[in-house]
Amino acid sequence: MSSQANWNSLTGIATLLFDGNLVAIAIAILFTFGVPIALHIFFFQAVASPPSSNFLLLGPSGAGKTAFTTLLEAKSSLASNKSHGTHTSQQSTFVTVTLPPTVPTGSNRYRSDNDPSLKEAIRNPIKYRVRDTPGHGKLRLSQGISELQTMSQSKDIKTRLRGVVFMVDTAALVDEATLRDTATYLHDVLLLLQKRAKNGSSSKRTTDIPVLVAANKQDLFTALPPGVVREKLEAEIDRIRKSKSKGLLDASADTGLEDEEEILGNNEHETFSFKLLEHEVGIKVDVVGGAVKGDLQEEFGSGVRRWEEWVGMCL
Amino acid sequence: MLEAFEILTTSGVVLWSKAYAPVGAHVINSLINDVFIEEKVVPQNATASGVSPAYKKEKYTLKWKRVKEFDLIFVAVYQSLLHLGWIDRLLENISTIFIDLYKDQVKGDRARIQTYRFDQYFEQQVRELEDNTGGFVEEIVPETGERKDPLVSSDNGGPPPPQVPGLVKAQPRAALAGATSDEGTPPATPEISRSSTPQGHLLTAKAGPGGRGSRRARKAANSSANASSGDEARKGKPVKTPVKKMRRWDASGMADEDDGEILDYSAPAEEGESAVPAVEAVSEEDWGRRTGKGQFVLKELGEEVQSILDQADAEKSKGTASSGVVGSGFNAIGGFFRNIVGGKVLTESDLEKPLKAMEEHLLKKNVAREAAVRLCEGVKREMIGKKTGNFQSTDAALHVAMESSLRKILTPTSSLDLLREINAVVAPTSKQQAPRPYVMSIVGVNGVGKSTNLSKICYFLLQNKYRVLIAACDTFRSGAVEQLRVHADRLKELSVRENAGDVEIYQKGYGKDAANVAKDAVDYAAANKFDVVLIDTAGRRHNDQRLMSSLEKFAKFANPDKIFMVGEALVGTDSVMQARNFNQAFGTGRNLDGFIISKCDTVGDMVGTLVSMVHATGIPIVFLGVGQHYGDLRGLSVPWAVSLLMK
Repeated sequence: MSSQANWNSLTGIATLLFDGNLVAIAIAILFTFGVPIALHIFFFQAVASPPSSNFLLLGPSGAGKTAFTTLLEAKSSLASNKSHGTHTSQQSTFVTVTLPPTVPTGSNRYRSDNDPSLKEAIRNPIKYRVRDTPGHGKLRLSQGISELQTMSQSKDIKTRLRGVVFMVDTAALVDEATLRDTATYLHDVLLLLQKRAKNGSSSKRTTDIPVLVAANKQDLFTALPPGVVREKLEAEIDRIRKSKSKGLLDASADTGLEDEEEILGNNEHETFSFKLLEHEVGIKVDVVGGAVKGDLQEEFGSGVRRWEEWVGMCL
Repeated sequence: MLEAFEILTTSGVVLWSKAYAPVGAHVINSLINDVFIEEKVVPQNATASGVSPAYKKEKYTLKWKRVKEFDLIFVAVYQSLLHLGWIDRLLENISTIFIDLYKDQVKGDRARIQTYRFDQYFEQQVRELEDNTGGFVEEIVPETGERKDPLVSSDNGGPPPPQVPGLVKAQPRAALAGATSDEGTPPATPEISRSSTPQGHLLTAKAGPGGRGSRRARKAANSSANASSGDEARKGKPVKTPVKKMRRWDASGMADEDDGEILDYSAPAEEGESAVPAVEAVSEEDWGRRTGKGQFVLKELGEEVQSILDQADAEKSKGTASSGVVGSGFNAIGGFFRNIVGGKVLTESDLEKPLKAMEEHLLKKNVAREAAVRLCEGVKREMIGKKTGNFQSTDAALHVAMESSLRKILTPTSSLDLLREINAVVAPTSKQQAPRPYVMSIVGVNGVGKSTNLSKICYFLLQNKYRVLIAACDTFRSGAVEQLRVHADRLKELSVRENAGDVEIYQKGYGKDAANVAKDAVDYAAANKFDVVLIDTAGRRHNDQRLMSSLEKFAKFANPDKIFMVGEALVGTDSVMQARNFNQAFGTGRNLDGFIISKCDTVGDMVGTLVSMVHATGIPIVFLGVGQHYGDLRGLSVPWAVSLLMK
């Protein structure tokens, strides 16, 4: 076969393609099967695996962060109905957990109850990732705050932060020192989020990161109710804000490493409240009570139900 | 006796635990806080190989072993009164066995949810080690039996062992076992066989030290009974557990064997009959367990454990043997490439040279040798057995680790917000507390800048509109009171000009007892509604016992809210001793509350004193003096300090 000459004319090419050449058949088969598969891989995977939603778990040591994480893990795995015990963490961990199908999600807000796609959701429950961080004072800066910084500023859809869960031990909050410590940490977290919201608004639209103050250990007798926790934290943050504005500069201020200190909330003279923060900066803070241990009802892990609902509304 | 044993990850999850007596969670938490996070307690003989470091908390002693590769910590808790020599061995063995069995699970995704059925192995190890040590452990045995007694029943929920097994009695027990066991297994036989472990303990308790032989016999009888019933179940699993095999590693005599044989005859007949109705329900799970590797574990636990341990030993010896001429040459070439490409598992020899360089670097930054060595040791401990990242050289990995180590040592556990604390004391929120002046005192070696830093703090407080009283308690050096008066006059002048707070000086001249003057000053301040009292003290050499001893009385009389020590940034190795001696000078229960490092502007980037002082005491640095003016007082910024030190 003199295929060389045939390439020159259109009819020659057509002849070559239609004359049952093995190579042509192979190419055709490869093309017909390959293109749909390639398209599927390219498009479907991008859509089918939704951006993994990350939640960051912050809070002082002993608030119950790791206990909460293990509880979620135990809940999402069908096999075990008992979470492991926990101790003070030294490292942060990423865990993937599933949202119980009974918890409504934010994206399904406008769906009717009879929507058949809701039934679909029961079969493959929504997954999200929780980052558990150590709450010890020495590890906060390096693992808690810096994690928040990188995750909140991340442009990658995979590591973007959907919400912050700030754990609070409501039974220990009566103690002045614990309250101060907790509020300082929360203050730092909110300040960082505020900086992000302010910087981001000018360049491009940033999704805001809501904060849940999870008032843990509601099962204990000495626990403060969520409303009181909210008041106490607001009052304490207000005091911290005032003293911060009058405090000494850091040593790094001389070298110009950091820009000027910012104040949480825009208005320095108004008393601080979470509502004010939402109004002025756009950071939503919810205080919701719950209990990791000592389930209120018989059902396993029912004490964290309301926090899961909050997580669901963020998804 | 062992109180508890826990296997936990560094992320804080307890993977497996066994408690013989209730031990509060705070005991292990404080171990983690003090040793791993704050590094307050430097474990003794941590370097000696084969001996696990110990930590004492309340009445317990905790020994632990950390496995870097899997991020696991093995902790054994026992009463400090008892000297258990075999704990080190136990930690060593348990860690080897656990990692061997579950290494895939621990690395996997589900590591934290998995339930680790490790009780059997653990019990076996404890028993074996207890037996081996003999001697003084023997005399503890009766007591331990007593302690364990309630636990066995609560822990396992298993039935008590049939001591005089009769057919009639056995059946209700079988029903009970099915009902109470946590896994809800129907047949009786496997249930009994499983609880054979605690059974042994029970029996020792009852029979006393003399009953050891019979205990073995009974166990053997039980196991053989189980085996025979298993045969009847026709699971197709060849149960090769002859009684003798079980006994091989046990140190027991001939008499036991005979004993066992006798019981052997009665048991299978009786047990087999009782179990016949439930034969179909006997599942694989009930009389054996799958290990991490899918191996079927039945009664050869001892052997399996032994083989694991032997294997680990062999590997270890092989590791040391292979470092011959050829091996080292090959390793060197491989190591060279890996050093460039990364992904190399670091060993001690890899780290030796870079660590030496790092230490030199720290010493050049004016870090005391003691602190530098400790930092390097810490980094070394952290790095050995770790893999370097892709395209990361050993030096870079070391650099990162040292940076985080420095950050960790300098970051205070709780940040000090001075204004907030003063407010809490001066204008308390709760009604119970009466407002009182906030007292701060400043101590230090001669000439480090106590008075200067005191007036800087005073200026800072004045700007925040506080009423400050300066108490001149340096009643020793001539001119000290006059010097303070000059400062006070200037500050008064400044505060009038800036419309700030109010300052006054309280002085009683020279020669008086400083503690009394301080006490009077505090009373005076309370009477005259001052907010803050700043007490200046005489400079003293930290190794002069006579001068230092008066500090204790001073702390008691003036009872300051905060005692700050001023240290020069210029001072080198001596800073460690200064910090330590001053920290101890205030008697028991009272320590320094913070350091003020003065003259930071004179040293440039050689700010190693910061690290030395914190290293010596674990007390945070509160302020830095950075210049000659009143305003030249700064808070510590950890990133700033770390970047200077690593430059």
